[in-house]
Amino acid sequence: MNVLDFINNNICFFDGGTGTLLQQRGLMPGELPERWNISHPEEIIEIHRAYFDSGSNIVCTNTFGANCLKFDERELDGIICAAVKNANAAKEKSAGGQQKFTALDIGPTGKLLKPCGDFDFDSAVECFAKTVKAGVKYGMDLIFIETMNDSYETKAAVLAAKENSDLPVFVSNAYSDDGKLMTGASPASVIAMLEGLGADAIGVNCSLGPKQLKGVVQEYLKYSSLPVILKPNAGLPKSVEGKTVYDVLPDEFAEDMLKYAQSGIRILGGCCGTTPEHISKTVQSAGKIKPKPVTDKNITMISSYTHAVEFGDSPVLIGERINPTGKKLFKQALRDNDIDYILNEGIKQQEKGVQVLDVNVGLPEIDEKKTLEKVCFELQAIIDLPLQIDTSDIEAMETALRHYNGKAMINSLNGKEEVMAQVFPLVKKYGGLVVCLTLDENGIPETAEKRVEIARKIIKTAEKYGVGKKDLIFDTLAMTISADTRCAVETLKALNTIKHELNCRTMLGVSNISFGLPHRDVLNGVFFSLALENGLSAAIMNPNSNEMMKSFYAFKALKNLDENCSDYIENIESFACCETVEKKISDNPKKENHGGEEFPQAPLQSAIIKGLKEKSAALTKELLESTDALEIVNSHIIPALDSVGKKFEEKTLYLPQLLMSAEAAQAAFENIKKKISQNKTQSVSRGKFVLATVKGDIHDIGKNIVKLIMENYGFEVYDLGKDVPPQTIVDEAVRLNAPIVGLSALMTTTVPYMEQTIKLLKEKAPEAKVIVGGAVLNKEYADSIGADYYAKDAMETVKYSLEILGK
Amino acid sequence: MSENVILTKKYGAQQIKPVDENEVRRYAGYSGKGIDEDGALTDVLRMVEKDLSGRLSYRVCYRRMPISWEEETPVMPFYCKSKNLASCIKGCYEIIVFAATIGIEADRYIAKSQKLSPLRALIAQAYSAERVEALCDKFCCEIRELLKEEMLCATARFSPGYGDLPLKTQADIFRLLDCGRQIGVYLNESLLMSPSKSVTAIFGIKKSNGKADTQ
Repeated sequence: MNVLDFINNNICFFDGGTGTLLQQRGLMPGELPERWNISHPEEIIEIHRAYFDSGSNIVCTNTFGANCLKFDERELDGIICAAVKNANAAKEKSAGGQQKFTALDIGPTGKLLKPCGDFDFDSAVECFAKTVKAGVKYGMDLIFIETMNDSYETKAAVLAAKENSDLPVFVSNAYSDDGKLMTGASPASVIAMLEGLGADAIGVNCSLGPKQLKGVVQEYLKYSSLPVILKPNAGLPKSVEGKTVYDVLPDEFAEDMLKYAQSGIRILGGCCGTTPEHISKTVQSAGKIKPKPVTDKNITMISSYTHAVEFGDSPVLIGERINPTGKKLFKQALRDNDIDYILNEGIKQQEKGVQVLDVNVGLPEIDEKKTLEKVCFELQAIIDLPLQIDTSDIEAMETALRHYNGKAMINSLNGKEEVMAQVFPLVKKYGGLVVCLTLDENGIPETAEKRVEIARKIIKTAEKYGVGKKDLIFDTLAMTISADTRCAVETLKALNTIKHELNCRTMLGVSNISFGLPHRDVLNGVFFSLALENGLSAAIMNPNSNEMMKSFYAFKALKNLDENCSDYIENIESFACCETVEKKISDNPKKENHGGEEFPQAPLQSAIIKGLKEKSAALTKELLESTDALEIVNSHIIPALDSVGKKFEEKTLYLPQLLMSAEAAQAAFENIKKKISQNKTQSVSRGKFVLATVKGDIHDIGKNIVKLIMENYGFEVYDLGKDVPPQTIVDEAVRLNAPIVGLSALMTTTVPYMEQTIKLLKEKAPEAKVIVGGAVLNKEYADSIGADYYAKDAMETVKYSLEILGK
Repeated sequence: MSENVILTKKYGAQQIKPVDENEVRRYAGYSGKGIDEDGALTDVLRMVEKDLSGRLSYRVCYRRMPISWEEETPVMPFYCKSKNLASCIKGCYEIIVFAATIGIEADRYIAKSQKLSPLRALIAQAYSAERVEALCDKFCCEIRELLKEEMLCATARFSPGYGDLPLKTQADIFRLLDCGRQIGVYLNESLLMSPSKSVTAIFGIKKSNGKADTQ
């Protein structure tokens, strides 16, 4: 019998802990237990057999840490081969009459994945794949991925399992006492991701005892449509006479587990500290009850690496601003590979209150696949909102979905057969909530009925691919009423039918409705309210639209979706009264910085010196009406920075103050850039400057300060980020023909990479001068690795750069 | 207190002493009088604290282990020739090795701040550094109390990278403590820790009639 058939009708029992048992049998601290498969097969078989004898249905191989990071390929293969043999031998030897299965056990690699750590996602998939392939080769009944405390690594392991085997995949995560994974994911977010990836059973193990896991288990039972696994520790570890002892004894453990089985847990076992006795008592108590059926919860969820967003009664806002359409500066940022610009669009929208970010970086002249992957990755390093992958390039879509940490939204497919045939397999493989446009080969139907017809076709096709209705969200296409005043009515009608008759989620790109008409915000706000009333689940919108934000908060409050109207009260001020708020700021300027000293300079200069961001921006805007942009840079901004820089060198002013001024100058520059982008012939660039923290190093505070100050002085900074391989830096320097390259390293362990980078630069881009900086460096050290200059801080970098360029 | 097993501790924010703003200023490079008289930098610090304090997760894992001596050289669970460490733990027959972290959220906040305001990032960095030090102080203080009951005391703590104790000792410490699984701290190829606001250290245990550093 297949294990999946078995769990359909039965409560299923896993084995318990092995670590303690191995230690009792003489495993030394620091010794790798996986090697015992070969050196002590009898001991391993005995342990497995004891669990089968206790009534376990599934026993896991002794391969928790069997991966290619710990063992070379040959040894790994040998270990897995022996481990499988041992488990199967125990299965045969055991006299227990229950159904018996063996699972290939896979634990974490021990490395943290990027962006938090330095292990590459693709390398992680590859690493797990090697273990999976060996397990499959030697014959297993299922794969058990367990004790994962990072959602991204969990995804890597599941992908490896699904791509290299047809075996059932069970996945269990280790939650901390705050109810989250170590890297921050909530149970709902993990559940959304794992269901999307096609796991067969999911659950919780390790970390805590049965009682302490109650909160997490309840979340699983609430959200999971899959059978839920529970393998807790035998309580918390204590040490008695130099030995680890756990405080929940078999009787108490079995009692707790029985309650969980009654509440709906279908697969029970134990982790650290549990013994065959814990399992046999559990089997005796929970084995008697009638299993509670596993039901489809029919909850539509997407997730980020921290939390899930549910598409239920309360409408969801999806920010549309990460999209180059009609945005000059955004397009330029894409061409320049200026990821920071895009990230800032994300941050601003998050601050306005959107719950999901749409990400569209399609531009004919760029490599969309590469850019989309990079932008999603960088967004996920700093913003915890789920993303909506928005592209029509199917390869770009797949790469982005593969590397996304969580369950993404996908924008979009439509009723065209060809498009569905491309997108649905991706939805099935990686999971996702897919936006379905109600159009097909014949275009957008005029009537609501025909749009609903397309929706029905899409639902039917999705079913064929194994994608359920809950993972579809229908866009009934808002089109401008300036072309045809019937448009809004038909769109809303279709929306209403799909929501209430087909029982599906719906969304709209709301603001299209007003295209070509004056005061669009007014129409958008009212249309949004109408759509919400007709059952809109989500809107893709511009959160800077005050009217739409007002509708959103008012709707929730009026529809009993906002307890105590607290969201409304908290947020409405900033949207409903923004004119008054702005006025208040100008009436009551922020207190001034840098002591009471009076500056004789012009107002802008003085604002920058004092570090006043808003004021600097406003004064620049004013000046731009009468003064040339370059003139402002040369006569106001640069002298201000020079004055601050001088004080910094003299140590009468400190780094935080220098930064305050730099940020004020930055705010001034934003306005200058906007002006200049309208006038293509003008440029404020003093020269190109390639900047990176070298390979191996993840410290970038200092590098970012250099970036800011160099930008202030008008350098075009190409920031390659941190942990950058030598070749990437050299390629960029060559591509840009950059006269200066800045490198930063903070640790002695990463200076060798700096040296390698310089060597390669001298070879491939001999014209480029290299300035280095960072905590471990000094002039002598810099000379010894071949750098042209050592800059002790950002101001020195400016000084040398101006020197190099002879300015 | 238990011997030679890995134990973990988690602290609530209220268990750690309140943030020492002067210490944060020192880390951020602006301690001293006459700076920030108008309080603009203090405003940033307060904002960072408001944003970050609730998101920190204070965790420690540790292990108490016996050591022996071959003349002036300690024989420890890892190979180490450091004279500075040897002098720090001179006269001790046990050590405690520990790793402490304030969690991944501090890194995420700092990374996000970099994009918005390098000033805020600088202050957040300093704030987080102060917090992880405060955590280490709390942990060491608790251990000292426990040792007192055994008529023992602890030396000052010593971290890889101090003096002649090489950074590669980190790898040994991580092996001994299983930091990834225990408290979610990982070591990368360059021997840097993630989350970056983490500390590993070693201190010696000796009889309290011996000279103890109370820090």
